[in-house]
Amino acid sequence: MKNSAYNFASSLSKIQKHHIQLFFMTLTIVMLVLGAGAPVDFGGVSK
Amino acid sequence: MILLTAIGFGLLAGIAQAKYHQTTWQLPQLQHAWIVAVFILPQVLAFYLPVTRSNLSVAVVSACLIFSQVGLLLFCLINWRQPGMIILAAGLLLNLVVIVGNGGFMPLSTDTAARLVPAQTFANMKVGSRVSLSSKDILLQPETIIFPWLSDQFIPPDWFPYKFAFSIGDVFIGLGAFLLLSLPISNVSPSQERKF
Repeated sequence: MKNSAYNFASSLSKIQKHHIQLFFMTLTIVMLVLGAGAPVDFGGVSK
Repeated sequence: MILLTAIGFGLLAGIAQAKYHQTTWQLPQLQHAWIVAVFILPQVLAFYLPVTRSNLSVAVVSACLIFSQVGLLLFCLINWRQPGMIILAAGLLLNLVVIVGNGGFMPLSTDTAARLVPAQTFANMKVGSRVSLSSKDILLQPETIIFPWLSDQFIPPDWFPYKFAFSIGDVFIGLGAFLLLSLPISNVSPSQERKF
């Protein structure tokens, strides 16, 4: 029982750590790309 | 919009490829990510935050853009070994060159603008002025643009509902971001691998 609880807690912490890493990695790339790019956006206007 | 789409496709392609090969999808090992967080700040102040962008002078805004992009280029060069990063850096450099050459903003020719927006909107746009407070673009006559082939000159086809203009540098940046997220990395440490 204790082992199961430990395994569950361990895998949960790994998932959370991975998700946090994933979030920051994605955020870094989004910031980099938005900062580097310079498209001009007129939205959904029709000509 | 176009750049966020490239990121989205890159994420999907990376995850799909990992599933297809029944292997791990690995996070890019980006060194010194704090550089991005620090050097994006001038752009946040100059283009994104309504309170600050409406109070900054044109000279300060252009300085913010150039300073920010130089820092981001430095980050790309530090991380040049990552797949796609060289392509992304090349796109950033192309954008930076044309921005510096045209007074600190990305040039948008009057010809391109006239093809994008309704005539009434175009009539209200002023040559030599910024397209909007949230935009990195400045409206210029085609003959006055330095390095016109690097400017925001490409537009989507007429049937496409979303209207935007982009540069060859933006294409490189989008492609680089896609490759960065979708290509596997060989020299990743086991602690940063994750099965999907």
